[in-house]
Amino acid sequence: MISNIEITLKQDLRDAEGQSLVKKAHAYFGIKMDDARCINIVTLESDLGQDELETIRREIFTNPVIQESSLGPLDIDFHFCIWVGFRPGVRDNAGATAVEAVRDLLKKDFLPGENIYTSKRYCLTGAELTREDAEKIARQILSNGIIQQYKVFGKDQWDKKTGADVKPAKVILNHTPGFDFMDIDSDEILARISHERSLSLNPRDIPVIRGYFLDKKVLAERAQMGLSKPTDVELEYISQSRSDHCCHNTFNGIFRYTDTETGQTTTEDSLFKTYIKAPTLALKETKNWVVSVLWDNAGVGAFDDENNYVITGETHNSPSNMEAYGGAITGIVGVYRDPMGTGLGSKLFMGSFGFCVGDINYNGPLKPPLHPRRLLDGVIEGVKDGGNKSGVPTTFGQTLFDPGYMGKSLVFVTALGIMPKTVNGKPSHEKTTSPGELIIMSGGRVGKDGIHGVTASSKSYSENTPAGHVQIGDPYTQKKMHDFLLICRDEGLITFITDNGGGGLSSSVGESAMLSNGCEVWLDKVPLKYEGMDMWEIWISESQERMTIAIKPENLDRFMALSDLHEVESTVIGKYTDSGKLHIKYKDKTCAYVDMDLLDKGFPAWEFEAVWTPPASRGLTEPVISTPTDFNSLLEQMLARPNICSKEWIIRQYDHEVQGGSVIKPLVGINRNIPTDASVTRPVLTSESGLAFSQSILPWYSKIDAYHMMACTIDEAVRRLIAVGGSLDHIGGVDNFCWPDIGYDAVSNPDGKFKAAQLVRACRALKDACMAYEIPLLSGKDSMYVDGHLEGAFGERIKVSALETVQFSAVSLVPDVSRCVTLEPKTAGDYLYVLGSTGDELGASEYYEMFGKTGLNVPRVDFSKLKTLYKALEKAIDKELVASCHAVGRGGLGIHLSLAAMAGGLGLDIDLAGLPLTDNLPLSSEKALFSESAGRFIVTVGPDKKQTFEKLCKGLPCACLGRVTDSHDRLNISADGNPVADLPVATLDSAFNKTFGDRI
Amino acid sequence: MSGASAVKALILTGFGLNCDSETAFAFEKAGAGAHRVHINSLIRGDVRLADFQILAFGGGFSWGDDHGAGVIQALKLKNNIGKDLLDFVDDGKLVIGICNGFQALVNLGLLPGLDQDYTRRSVAITYNDCGNFRDQWVRLVPDADSPCVFTKGLGVSDYPVRHGEGKVVADPDVLASLIANRQVVFRYADANGVPAKGAFPANPNGALDDIAGICDPTGRIFGLMPHPEGYNHFGNHPDWPRQKACAKRQGKSLEQTITTGIRLFENGVNYIQRSVSIG
Repeated sequence: MISNIEITLKQDLRDAEGQSLVKKAHAYFGIKMDDARCINIVTLESDLGQDELETIRREIFTNPVIQESSLGPLDIDFHFCIWVGFRPGVRDNAGATAVEAVRDLLKKDFLPGENIYTSKRYCLTGAELTREDAEKIARQILSNGIIQQYKVFGKDQWDKKTGADVKPAKVILNHTPGFDFMDIDSDEILARISHERSLSLNPRDIPVIRGYFLDKKVLAERAQMGLSKPTDVELEYISQSRSDHCCHNTFNGIFRYTDTETGQTTTEDSLFKTYIKAPTLALKETKNWVVSVLWDNAGVGAFDDENNYVITGETHNSPSNMEAYGGAITGIVGVYRDPMGTGLGSKLFMGSFGFCVGDINYNGPLKPPLHPRRLLDGVIEGVKDGGNKSGVPTTFGQTLFDPGYMGKSLVFVTALGIMPKTVNGKPSHEKTTSPGELIIMSGGRVGKDGIHGVTASSKSYSENTPAGHVQIGDPYTQKKMHDFLLICRDEGLITFITDNGGGGLSSSVGESAMLSNGCEVWLDKVPLKYEGMDMWEIWISESQERMTIAIKPENLDRFMALSDLHEVESTVIGKYTDSGKLHIKYKDKTCAYVDMDLLDKGFPAWEFEAVWTPPASRGLTEPVISTPTDFNSLLEQMLARPNICSKEWIIRQYDHEVQGGSVIKPLVGINRNIPTDASVTRPVLTSESGLAFSQSILPWYSKIDAYHMMACTIDEAVRRLIAVGGSLDHIGGVDNFCWPDIGYDAVSNPDGKFKAAQLVRACRALKDACMAYEIPLLSGKDSMYVDGHLEGAFGERIKVSALETVQFSAVSLVPDVSRCVTLEPKTAGDYLYVLGSTGDELGASEYYEMFGKTGLNVPRVDFSKLKTLYKALEKAIDKELVASCHAVGRGGLGIHLSLAAMAGGLGLDIDLAGLPLTDNLPLSSEKALFSESAGRFIVTVGPDKKQTFEKLCKGLPCACLGRVTDSHDRLNISADGNPVADLPVATLDSAFNKTFGDRI
Repeated sequence: MSGASAVKALILTGFGLNCDSETAFAFEKAGAGAHRVHINSLIRGDVRLADFQILAFGGGFSWGDDHGAGVIQALKLKNNIGKDLLDFVDDGKLVIGICNGFQALVNLGLLPGLDQDYTRRSVAITYNDCGNFRDQWVRLVPDADSPCVFTKGLGVSDYPVRHGEGKVVADPDVLASLIANRQVVFRYADANGVPAKGAFPANPNGALDDIAGICDPTGRIFGLMPHPEGYNHFGNHPDWPRQKACAKRQGKSLEQTITTGIRLFENGVNYIQRSVSIG
């Protein structure tokens, strides 16, 4: 029987969700409504009797103080009513917890086919509302056709008895599971199959695959298992394993790099080996704090004598572009499984985000899958639910806007965990699988979710991209699993653990079985969300919240008892062997039998042509702009620009201090509204040590040269750490590359060779910076197809590519958090210094961008010079000579002096006359204020420390430019005594906060 | 966590709760033996509630908060160990609910406990008026005449709030009783320590009468939205770098401070040490 319970807030109470809808409809579409009320609908398919339904309505679903509810439609007036529910098969988290609650209250199990589903309806009132308005609200605010369905009811269509007439969103497949044999008679046939099945096989891989399956010895072995041609399970396995997402074919490819100016051509064998692996391994030799790198789900560094920390970063771009909330929550919950699956498992203690989206006020003809405004709303909310409900603080984050991200927006998520150095006397960062151990899958169940997600993210977005790979993460289920697995770890029950992310079991079991050299998997044992899935679907499904764990048979009972206590589903789905074979069965019938080393069978490296033309040869020049006369208005306008202004509304939606270890929060200063350089967290509450964490994303410099983009990005991340009290002695890095397609094609990707050259150059800078600053890369990922083909006004599709982007995350150990420094000047009378030289480096700066210009003089990083400066500053902070410290970033000194003034809530008297200049070349005031030269800090020092500080900085580019004052509350900047800018801190504050201020 | 101390505090874990580690740490720092116990261990009888003197319902997202914050947690406990909870209260022991725990306490009816009825739901905690989840530090002013055991001697206190559903609402008569009985323990206040009168963001959620926390008439059951365990170390306070600079000028050190967060837990531990026969 199907029953619906409707619940709403009592009519005299404010409906915050409804109010927010009224506001959004008006702000986004100019639609005027008087009111909107939300009604939650719980749909039960069960044999529960009327009394039981009444009990659960009253006890579970209705708060008597604030809610009213009914077993039929509530009689609430409207002009239009919009019902929104999930499509069948989409994860319904509230439905799942409702089942738990009903089961516990009634002590009654749900039978197969019985379930609970949730949906909502919105009663909109407003005399001016039209059906078109309601449809627009339904389609463009309340639902996304990929995961949801909606119905709009006018007053006249509403039947008070049946209401929205909600039916269960139930998956019925009516399909008998099976597997198929695939034809490989010719390369063409296999290529066709690859296309039809969305396998995304690289044409160059096809002969290798055929060669393997046509090999006589292979055929003979397979015949014994009843197999001949490859099965769909096997081809899907190969497709997953060979995808760019899993295999990093681009970074392991061969690049022929030609510099058109010198005419020289060099060959790069593997960017990964040359620019990531080699420097990291070299640094590991000299840094004894580096514990484990380059092989596990995340890198491991030493925190103290008892604990190690774990760090990794991911992107979740493609899914977020189509379903922003689902993509982002799946992304953050997904990256949180990496530390859980690193070593024997770590406890998460912080996360961070990076959002890169198009112009949220875009009103041109292009039609991205989601408007940037809506996309940003969705990703913010996804990371909010994913992070907050995981109980992990989101301590840092950045949001960037650029038109290129309308083609594909970027969602970066980073995760850090902490684990004891040893578990049961054994190092916690080591793990392996051995023959005889059981393969266990814990956490969520398997459905059709995310099938071909890996291969889809290895392609540009187009009208043919399958939408079915979008999922909704379930932080609740994962949090239960997290708690459970840490207990298993501490009891020594786990011998190997890894997460199920891209590629699902295919990747997690496939890769873990490499260690024991074989496995036998029983796919019919895998718990499913619904019946009727084919073997290949079970094998590669990316259903979330699952870990794959190896345990010894003698530990099974204890493991299962703990799993039961924590109400986490765990199932033995196979065993590890040393047969040399990946052997998959379904009800005793073999459906895959391939060599474990199949993937080493000489698959060819990908090849790229990379052609570099230096910026001047590309025609870039400096713009011709004379010195402005109104610096006050200029500063105000710069502060209000989307890439500079306050994003407090985003940051406050994230719990940034759960777990109780917060030391420097994402927002600092007297009004707690200025973004910090880096966050500092104590992951171990009994310790006074902390980890400083920063991120930088500076994609604009790629317009000129991605080498300098990369160099500046890393320099800024490092400087941010130094500014709060981090140390060059211990900095770990995480590189997240997001690059447009680099595969040249005369028609579809004519600038592919240039983008390939940009990638090579960025990698060269990565190595140069990491070697200079001694940063081992603890982790890193690449996402290679950040392009979109957007529909335009006339039915054409236009390719929009993102800027070549790298998010660099950096972590540093702070032995004593009480030495940490924040960026706000603290005391009137303190002296203000600028450290580091300023040069004529406004190429791709925020200042030039304001005038629509790019320029040529991109900031350059002189690593060895800067390192000397950073060491000195590090010492000054350690000796507590510095009262405040701030790394100068995007927007230059003008912006960052303003931020310091706002943060301190005190006046600043500054004269630019003494500013340290690169090569002593004089600069006009606007260049001094808005140059984005790397390597600079703003520091304040108390009068009693002045002498010591200056002595320490002797011979370095460091000059006192003025003082902090309480005799006025203005930012007063002059040059050689001539006034440049003079405006109240309150004016700066209002400019900085107004752009997004109404979003709270 | 060790249980060396005589006072034993039980901190609930599991099902999406997430502040259990720092709550346990705060209790330990306050002198208690803190024990993190899975809700199912209590229900199955592996651990006996009667062996403890303080019960802490901590923060988090129990059951994802999918059907109202703290609702399913309250229902599950009432349904399975409801009598144990009432016995615990009858024995004169202490209960504290923080954030999600506060939400669970009002849904259990342990708060506000008017007319000695510890099962009636008469206070609700609902969505913030601002429409968003919000993390910020708030200033709280205690009612010095409240019977609440945990806030004895505490002055104006700063703690973080981190919630999407923190607006305390009740019918006017319930509200009047709470105020009359001095059960409104903490109110959101402005920078000067004066009640915020609903002004955002000093009152971050629009709670009626700026209510941040309430106790039962005995003062032994206490629920609050802000997180005292989130202020377990001087470095948690957003102003600590300026406080440090200020302390330094006065020749003092910030590192030795016992935070108001820890002092709140100490009040609970000291109460047990003074008044309950332990063992």
